[in-house]
Amino acid sequence: MDLIVNRVSVYYGDKVGIKDACVEAKKEEIIGFIGADGAGKSSLMFAIAGVKRFKGEIIYENYAYHSPKEAEKIKDKLGFMPQGIGLVLYPDLTVDEHLDFFSDIRELKRDEEYWRYRQRLLKMAGLAEFTDRLAKNLSGGMKQKLSLICTLIHRPKLLLLDEPTTGVDPISRQELWEILDENRKKEKSISLVSTAYMSEASKMDRLYLFDDQEIIASGTEKELIDMARDYTYEETECEEGCITFNKRTYSLRPLNAKKAEPTLESLFFVNALKKNKIPPPIQIEPREQKIEIPPIVMEARGLTKRFGDFVADDHIDMVLRRREIVGLLGANGAGKTTFIKMLLGLYPIDEGELYLLGKKISSPEDRQELKSKIGYMSQLFALYKDLTIYENLVYFAKMHGLGMEKALHRIEKLSKGLGFDKYINEFPKDVPLGIKQRFSLAAAILHEPVVLFLDEPTSGVDTVARAQFWKLLHQLKEKWDISILITTHYMSEAEYCDRVVVLKRGRKIADDTPQNLLKRFPNAKSFEEVFLELYKESE
Amino acid sequence: MRIFGTVFFKELLIFLRSIGLVAVVLYSFTIDVYIAGEGIEVKPKNVSVGYVDYSNSILPQKILSHLHPPEFKKPKPFTSQKELSQAIFNKEILVGLVFESDFEKSLLTDGKTKLNILLDSTAAAQSYITLYYLQNIVMRFVPQKEGFELKTHKLFNQNADTHMFISFSEFISVLTLIGVILSAAVFVKEKEEGTWDIMLLMPVDSKIIILAKAFSQVFIIICASILSMGYVVLTIFNTPFNGSFLDFFMLTLLYSLTLAGIGLFIASVSKDIMQVAQISILIMMPLIFLSGAWTPIYSMHPLLQKLSLLSPLRYYIEGSESVVFRGTATVDLLQYYIPLAIIGTALFIFGFKKIGRLF
Amino acid sequence: MKIGVIKAYMLKEFKDLIRSRMIFLVYIMPTLILVMFGYGIKLEVKHSRLIILDHDKSELSYTLINRFEHSKYFNTKVLDITENEALRMIKAAKADIILIIPQSFEKRIFHKDKTEIGAFIDGAFPLRAMTMQSYVQGVVYSMIRDLMERYHIRIKKIEINYRNLFNQSLRDENAIVPGLIGLVLLVAPAILAALLIVKEKEKGTIFNFYSSPVKKSDFLIAKLTPVFLLHSVNIFILLLWALYLFKVPFRGEFWIYWLTSEIYILISLSIGLLVSIVTNRQIVAVILTVIITVIPGFLYSGILMPISSMSKEAYIEAHLFPVMYYNHIIYDTFLIGQGFEAQKNLLYLLILIFYAALLFIIGSALLKKELK
Repeated sequence: MDLIVNRVSVYYGDKVGIKDACVEAKKEEIIGFIGADGAGKSSLMFAIAGVKRFKGEIIYENYAYHSPKEAEKIKDKLGFMPQGIGLVLYPDLTVDEHLDFFSDIRELKRDEEYWRYRQRLLKMAGLAEFTDRLAKNLSGGMKQKLSLICTLIHRPKLLLLDEPTTGVDPISRQELWEILDENRKKEKSISLVSTAYMSEASKMDRLYLFDDQEIIASGTEKELIDMARDYTYEETECEEGCITFNKRTYSLRPLNAKKAEPTLESLFFVNALKKNKIPPPIQIEPREQKIEIPPIVMEARGLTKRFGDFVADDHIDMVLRRREIVGLLGANGAGKTTFIKMLLGLYPIDEGELYLLGKKISSPEDRQELKSKIGYMSQLFALYKDLTIYENLVYFAKMHGLGMEKALHRIEKLSKGLGFDKYINEFPKDVPLGIKQRFSLAAAILHEPVVLFLDEPTSGVDTVARAQFWKLLHQLKEKWDISILITTHYMSEAEYCDRVVVLKRGRKIADDTPQNLLKRFPNAKSFEEVFLELYKESE
Repeated sequence: MRIFGTVFFKELLIFLRSIGLVAVVLYSFTIDVYIAGEGIEVKPKNVSVGYVDYSNSILPQKILSHLHPPEFKKPKPFTSQKELSQAIFNKEILVGLVFESDFEKSLLTDGKTKLNILLDSTAAAQSYITLYYLQNIVMRFVPQKEGFELKTHKLFNQNADTHMFISFSEFISVLTLIGVILSAAVFVKEKEEGTWDIMLLMPVDSKIIILAKAFSQVFIIICASILSMGYVVLTIFNTPFNGSFLDFFMLTLLYSLTLAGIGLFIASVSKDIMQVAQISILIMMPLIFLSGAWTPIYSMHPLLQKLSLLSPLRYYIEGSESVVFRGTATVDLLQYYIPLAIIGTALFIFGFKKIGRLF
Repeated sequence: MKIGVIKAYMLKEFKDLIRSRMIFLVYIMPTLILVMFGYGIKLEVKHSRLIILDHDKSELSYTLINRFEHSKYFNTKVLDITENEALRMIKAAKADIILIIPQSFEKRIFHKDKTEIGAFIDGAFPLRAMTMQSYVQGVVYSMIRDLMERYHIRIKKIEINYRNLFNQSLRDENAIVPGLIGLVLLVAPAILAALLIVKEKEKGTIFNFYSSPVKKSDFLIAKLTPVFLLHSVNIFILLLWALYLFKVPFRGEFWIYWLTSEIYILISLSIGLLVSIVTNRQIVAVILTVIITVIPGFLYSGILMPISSMSKEAYIEAHLFPVMYYNHIIYDTFLIGQGFEAQKNLLYLLILIFYAALLFIIGSALLKKELK
């Protein structure tokens, strides 16, 4: 073994980061760290990278280190990319200057070989044309790829990448993986990669599953999937001690149903069952106020937004019907967020017409009355961090003009229905991301809107919580006749939508049901591949 | 109105929950104001005096006996003028007195004599006033023209006590800076934390939100001001409050509104708290400079005097000091009320419009 | 030490400073502070608004009024109003001083009868009040004295023959501007140094240092040299302002000013370094630096109060902060010019070097290449 991590624990004051983690890796291997946010992946990365004090021992190529100080010796062989988009980039330096800087601090010789390698990295990352662009002007995906090639420029032998693909669109993600794969073959390096995308597991040689500050399982993808095989059934009615999601039901007790083929995600459901952390059932009650909803809730005709010369959204037509969940997909910088912001009136519309609930929107006054019919949840789960969850909800209710009695009633109902009632007096920072996500949704639907706009509501949230969230959205649709427009980076989630709209560089390139799109590309194994095909097709 | 209350109380709650912010505000308005008043002394105090007496007579000792604490340290004898000069060069002595050998004799025979004084005037403030003290002391030794006297009264503050004055000045500086930063931060914080968009999407008139947010900060500032004035300046330093408290309160309220207006403007052009701090300082410096806090307005260049008419701080300082120290009647305060109200309203509307454009 | 690494880091630092426009702050702030405070803190009070109530209307009272009218310190008005009305003018801040010349003032003076002139001074600004009081006394007493001489009345008097060392004209600028340089050069480099490191911590780019083989010493040199070089230019800029804008004399040797200031900047940098170790956010770093530099910078600089006049505790505290030592040397080079002939200056320079070394060593020892 070339890397041995032996019972490593990391503490932040009293808080445990990761406890007694053991990892082994050989040259040329890509090792995957999979787990929810805050499960301990980053803490272990910090320890191995020698940037954080830890207990235990790490041995790399027969050199053992126990502290950041001792780890200094391996740092010339190390490449570390911490979690966070563009975290290690300097906003006011260009792409070229970044590469120069990272080369210089590693004292790389500028020979022909170096320039060839550098050029290839740039090409692979799709940044060759943008060498003069300042990092702050790059899109999220480009930033991640730049961070990656900056980490690779000195050909590290031990590569640590903490969620390099989070928030990155499938196109950029594919390029990232190509770079990684080439590097390990050529440099015979060890790569440790953490990810929140289950679909990437197939690209790893071995996986470590993280949960609650511990490593709960390890092995190849197949071995791990097999671990869940005994507990995975086809969707069935089940009273207690089981979870049903995406056409499968998981149960530790034998069920009277046919076994189904498990996926890697299944293991997380099974683990939740084993730890007796079964998510409470979600129960949405019918609307308190019955209202007439027109068949077409939102219609955009040729909506266009320009920033200077740059056209963010180019004549986009789109319809959102009653009781419909539409997924808005696209690479980073395709114009999804801009589009939603135009619909919401956060950006003025440069060209085109917008109808909301059958009414043409032409002035801010038109919107004012409609605001109470719209719900919005942003990428950041934006909440007031100095107010408790309860206080946040009361505030939102009052702002929507609900009376105190009515507000309290609805808050109680929603907090129970969405299963965060025991956290209600905590501050947002003290609750798990999944809870935060549900309570943000509660804040967005307190006033019982008819249409809901969700901007990447599932980023960074663990598998089980994400499943819960989608169940919630479907219940809302069923019981409230609500219409939902949602953007997401998880292509697998496209399948839970009634219809998807795909954007590319500000233009609409597809608008169809997921089933039809899958049919159109029979060779595609997953929706992710459908998406890549669509992008290729529109070249 | 209910919405106004909701936002208003939400902002108060958020303020109270931000322990760091509360600590900074409390510290600035109490301890900082106290330290400034207690620690900074502009009057001569403990002035170190050295002397050389070549005359060996009684008169020098008589004069020296008048240099006593707290203004002066006990005079220190030196044997030669050279030694004394060296001590002044080394900043051990601030004032040196040299009594020539015929010092007393001349006075008796010729009726006049000379006293040589060496002053370290790098500390100009102290030197200035020390010199004037010495003149006064020496003057007492001279039988004045029988009967004539110049009686000076320093109105409102006979002893020229600087403690309360400086603590009051510090209070005004703190009020100015914190006032602007708080009312800018209450908006910029929403930008930083990403709640800005959510705020915009509330089915509520944006004017009410802006007003409620701004007034919540004005309220905090007023509370802090009352605490600071009432407790630190008035109680600890025992400052006499010569005017009506209501006038002071009203002036502070008007001034806080002005500050909120500036804060709104800063919030409309800043992305984060760091920028708020930078821009605040850039805007506040000229305001303070032109306010008459440092240089009396009548001593300024005529052009600057005109410009100072635009500084709201000018009216607040003159007005509030008139109320607190001079006990000026309300009628005579109109000259501050009116311009402060005009500038305050103008700035508030300007800031309101600026930030309103972002809604 | 790896020159290549240091060069790369420094190059990045300079580009960042220029592109993020921080460079303006580096050069505008110090100048702004010097100019504003240099002009702003005036102890001399000109044109104070004097109101004379002349109840005598004699030749003598006219002479006195005349003297006031010819003084640059007063803006004199003779009004025929009651004392109460005059008092109200002070209350309304329309006048600063009221001088009341009593009835039969002249007659009484010549008959050696008891008489007095009353001066009422607005004491709301105590320091200003004292200054104005001394002006009024000066004018009145000098007139009385001249009067005596004119009538050959021999009186005993002690003449004060004073010499203002170092600052003959008693100019405020001479007294304040050098001290301000001491304040600015303490605050500005410290803030910039702290920001350059804390910024990387806040954004996350500090990982590039943590996870690379770059040595701690190289990192420090690379981070602090740009600040040092940039602020070294400020040493000259501030000197030019002092000499040409404020016309402060320069009696010492230039190289002493230069050398001492460079060492002083090193101290300031090290303070910034220490701040950057304990903070993770830029705004906190700025506030903390301001608190620990501005207060001692002002209090113990000698601008507000001569060190020799301080009470025991303050006197000791003043000696604990580097400001005092720097200011001593700086005032010497501007106003006195003894240079290192005075042993005290040399000793103080050594103390400054000691401070620079000590703070820098502590700072670099505490800086860790790891997350807290």
